Parts: sequence; C-alpha cells; structure tokens
Amino acid sequence: MPNRRNFLLLIAASLLPTAGRLVRPALAQADGHASDFVKGIGDKLVAVVNGPGSERDKRERLTQIIDSGVDVEGVARFCLGRFWRNATPEQQKRYMELFHQVLVNNITSKLGDYQGVRFTMGRAQQRDDNDVVSTVVGRPNNPPTNVDWIISAANGSPRIIDVVAEGTSLRLTQRSDYASYLSRNNNNIDALINAMRQQVAQAG
Amino acid sequence: MRAVNLRHLLVITAVLLGSLGGCATPPPADDADAVADFKEANDPLEPTNRAIYAFDDALDTVILRPAAKAYRFIVPAPARAGIHNALTNFGTPVQLGNDILDGRPRRAGDTTMRFLINTTVGVLGIFDFAKNWGYPDHDADFGLTLALWGLPEGPFLYLPVFGPSDPRDAIGLAGNAVMDPFTWVGQGTTVRALDWSRMGVNALDQRERHLDDIDSTKKTALDPYATFRSLYRQHRRGQVEDLRKDKRATIPVWFPESGASDKVTYSPAVSPAY
Repeated sequence: MPNRRNFLLLIAASLLPTAGRLVRPALAQADGHASDFVKGIGDKLVAVVNGPGSERDKRERLTQIIDSGVDVEGVARFCLGRFWRNATPEQQKRYMELFHQVLVNNITSKLGDYQGVRFTMGRAQQRDDNDVVSTVVGRPNNPPTNVDWIISAANGSPRIIDVVAEGTSLRLTQRSDYASYLSRNNNNIDALINAMRQQVAQAG
Repeated sequence: MRAVNLRHLLVITAVLLGSLGGCATPPPADDADAVADFKEANDPLEPTNRAIYAFDDALDTVILRPAAKAYRFIVPAPARAGIHNALTNFGTPVQLGNDILDGRPRRAGDTTMRFLINTTVGVLGIFDFAKNWGYPDHDADFGLTLALWGLPEGPFLYLPVFGPSDPRDAIGLAGNAVMDPFTWVGQGTTVRALDWSRMGVNALDQRERHLDDIDSTKKTALDPYATFRSLYRQHRRGQVEDLRKDKRATIPVWFPESGASDKVTYSPAVSPAY
C-alpha cells in the first residue's frame, strides 16, 4: 500500500506533466538505497567469510552483521505462522531466542562452504511495499545462484526480511518445515522448542 | 535436462502405481486452521510419499551421493563444467520443442542460437560461448509447458528415483522422453549403452551440482521431507513464473519502438517507503 505522501505525489504527478519527471529520480534513489544496503551487507559478509581471523572471531562478526541487517524478530514470527498467536508469552520468548541461535548457526556453519564466495549486484525492484534486490552469488564448486534480497523499511531503517534463492524463499521454506513438524507432533509448540534446542545443542 | 528413456519410465510408473496404498487422514472438519494447513500442504498421499522419500533417500545415501562426491573429487571443476554444458547441449531438442509449444519465439531463438554456436565454436557443446554473446540458457520442459497451458500442478508426489514431483511434472517427464530423439534413435546395444551412459552422467552432474545444498537442507530441517516438498514447489512455480513473464517481442532490439517490452518498467503506483 502506498503511504499518504506517495499518494499525494502520485496525484501531483498526474496533474503536472513536469512532476512525472520529479518522481522518477525519487524512485531511482529508493532503488539505490536498497541496492546500497544490500551491497553494504554483502561486502561485509564477503569480507568476513574470505578474510583472516579465527573461526570464533568470524562467527562473532557474522552474528553482528545478521543482528544489524536482518529483521530476525519479524522473520521468526512469520516462520511460526498461526502458532505464534497460540503460543504463551513464555513460549514466544524461548522460541525467539532459539530462532535467533538457529539462524546464526545455520549461517555461520556454512563458513567453510562459502570460502571464496563472490557476488554481483543485479537490478532493484519494488514488490508489495518491499524492495527486491537481485544478486548472483558464486561460490567455488557450485553453479552461480540467483539470490533476491527482500528489504523492508517498515520499522524505519531497512532490514532483510527474506532471501529468495532460485525462486525459493528462505522464510516460506522454514515456515513449512515448522508447520509440518508441528502437525506431526500434535501442534505442540513445546515439542518444536525442544527440537530447536536440540539443533542448537548439536551445532554446539 | 532430465531426459528419460520411455521404457524406464514405464517400469517406474508401474512400480509407483503398485505402491500407492496409504493416504493421509484429513483433520477433523471443525479444526479450521488444521484443515487450512492440510489443504496448503496438498499432499493427500503423504504416507506413501514419505515411504518413497525414505527409499530414495537411502538409495541416494548409499549410491548417488557418494558417486557425486567421487565425481567432484576426481573430475576438476572446469571439466565438470564442460560435461554439464555438453549435456545441456544434448538437451536442445527437448528444450526447443517446448519453447515452440510454449509459443515463445525468442526462447526458441535463444535455444537455436545456443545450439548452433556451442556445437561449433563451443566444440560439441563443451564450452558455452553463447551465454556471453547474448543467448542465455533457460529452463524448458514439458511440465512447464503444461503449466503454461493452464494445467494445475495437482497434489504432491514423491517419485521413486526421480524424487519430488506432481502429476503435471510426472506427465512432463513422459512428455520429455517422447520429445527426446534419443528415445527413438537406434535399437542396438551400443546406442542403448550410450543412452544409459548419458542418463548416468546426467544424474552425476545434477547430483554434484546440489551436493552442498542438499546436505545443508538435510542438516538444518526439522522435517526434511516437508522442506524438500516446499522447495520443489517454490522452485517450479518460480520457473513457471519466469516462463510466463518472458514476453519478449520477436522484433530485433535495434528496431525503433521495440525495446519497450525488454525493459524493466517500474510502476509509478509503488513508491519508496523511505
């Protein structure tokens, strides 16, 4: 949904033929913002992954990048879907902590696989209120992958809310994983929390 | 390109039909959320599918994955890329046939130019020069064609050996086999041996390309079967979407007024939120 300012801008654009030219740079700038944001995060990630430093050091720095660049809370809520509403505040809190750990582990555990990673920036678009920035990620031993970064600025500053690799959304996939696990465990949220705790423990 | 011999397909279909026993029990009708989940999963054969998944997974763990790892270890990356390109080049007839059935002349043109360039300059398809000369590769198979024609994907299916699928893509596999000249050319032992070799190398190539992805999915998913189900569907829907959106005109780019459809157009209604 376009917000009010944009709506007014749109009316202005349709009334004044010259205003149409004013809107265009504004749009281009917005795309630039999202692209710059993704490029900034991408550069930081690549620098950490390919750079020097101990494994622990790298993990710490990756965690910082994730915390500042990803809307972890929003993603966590999305992944639990309707079960978020059914969960007790205590369950919500534990789930949120575990989700954060699982996410960080999933990303940092791939440090080795991603050694030598490179990425090239593609175009930026707007889709439903969000910015979609396309990139191509290349890593040794693997074919180049098209990765779209979905950026939302709903909470003020831009944050990653989803990563879509070759048409597959990370958060949608995670949600269906949790939904299926829950449906096979009597929709018991504690069972999910225990399973996540085990995952975290195994990742050590 | 997954080209399959028609005979192999018939055997596998028979095995599959024989094993269709278990059906998922729908949740009670008064539990609206659970019913919605059940419909979204759209997997009425889930118990059977899970059994076949377990079978395929065991087969993969024992045979295909180790073979793919060995393939990666023994064959250096540039050689693997060459083999992959050559296999893609072998897939031209099926790809071109589907481009035409899709009514996508620019895609058919890309496929034709790719074949002409890569078969000659690219030494029998080993090098993909066409990609950098403005003729990128794209996905085309009969499952996608059926999707474009409006056939719904239907419930989820897990096929023996072939893995995640749906009725539309299962028909698509058969369609691809029918469209593949290698299905029809020759009857001799040599031809059959070459045919099987191509299938084998194809399997190795595909599996090797997904070694890291599949390993990490299995490691991070609480329910790998459900995760692969979701991944497969999203991936196929993305491919269908790409095919649907590819409405490039047949008029050359240098022709006046023709560039418009090639360019990305930003709708003025969506504007920056910050």
